[in-house]
Amino acid sequence: MTNVEKYQNAFCETFELTNSQLVGLKYQGVELWDSVGHMTLIANLEEAFDIMMETDDIIDLSSYEKGMKILKEKYDIEF
Amino acid sequence: MILKGKNVVITGCLQGIGKSSMEYFASQGANIWACALAPNDGYEDFCKELARNNGVFVKPVYFNLLNNDEIKSAVKSIQSDKLPVEGLVNIAGMAKDALFNMVSMDTLKNIFEINFFSQIYFTQFITKLMLRNGKGSIVFVSSISALDGNVGQLAYSSSKAALIGAMRTMSKELASKGIRVNAVAPGVINTDMNRIVPSEVINDKIKKMDIKRLGEAEEVAKTLAYLISDISDYVTGQVLRIDGGIR
Repeated sequence: MTNVEKYQNAFCETFELTNSQLVGLKYQGVELWDSVGHMTLIANLEEAFDIMMETDDIIDLSSYEKGMKILKEKYDIEF
Repeated sequence: MILKGKNVVITGCLQGIGKSSMEYFASQGANIWACALAPNDGYEDFCKELARNNGVFVKPVYFNLLNNDEIKSAVKSIQSDKLPVEGLVNIAGMAKDALFNMVSMDTLKNIFEINFFSQIYFTQFITKLMLRNGKGSIVFVSSISALDGNVGQLAYSSSKAALIGAMRTMSKELASKGIRVNAVAPGVINTDMNRIVPSEVINDKIKKMDIKRLGEAEEVAKTLAYLISDISDYVTGQVLRIDGGIR
């Protein structure tokens, strides 16, 4: 599985979405992406990429695209 | 055995309630990440013996609650074992007694750093591991001084009261994710921390108890085990007093 697929899966599984719904997705943009859902997303991303995210990055992850940028720049995940 | 096969993180394991909790949890079948500041004489042997005698996994994990990098390394070490984390017991803490007007801001901040901020920081990481399993139980060790106040314990009691506020919020936020969060409030327990208290103070406390004796660390450990176990599946957001009925 590629890193993009892992990243997409984390979002899809957490928020019960399909890949086509991910582009442009923002925090609280769907019902399940609330503050609690956000923590589940982080847990799923950490497990998928075997990382531990900093609190500031967790707060900063406000969209599908922003998350990808954070993982790339701060955690050396290549997409 | 009420904790058979459960994987539990316990902090403050070197002595007192932490050490007793390790013993009781292992006797009840729990696998333990035994967190401590640093090993003392015999600690690692104690962990090995506990594991051998009870047929469980007991791994010492060392970190200083004042050092965020060490906290993160400890979480990585726990994570690396690839076991689902199902329980967290936050016991580590410290007290530095002084009357209200004699408490320096440095002391107050230091006590809050150890008893509150660091515990929340550590718990944030552990909670994320629990979220992966969709199940978990977290227990904070607060104190009756957080609920009742206690002369000379401004820093300690207020930091322990802060834990109760955090616990109640966490219990509301995490219940839907299968994670329960509770606290215990021990009274006067027969540990090293209380051995330095003058005997007349202790005796005065005992007079105010329904059960006329100090509590034992194992009695706190048993309550912690209950809250971590599935027996307490419908209990969250609570503070359980373990104080012999002190008034």
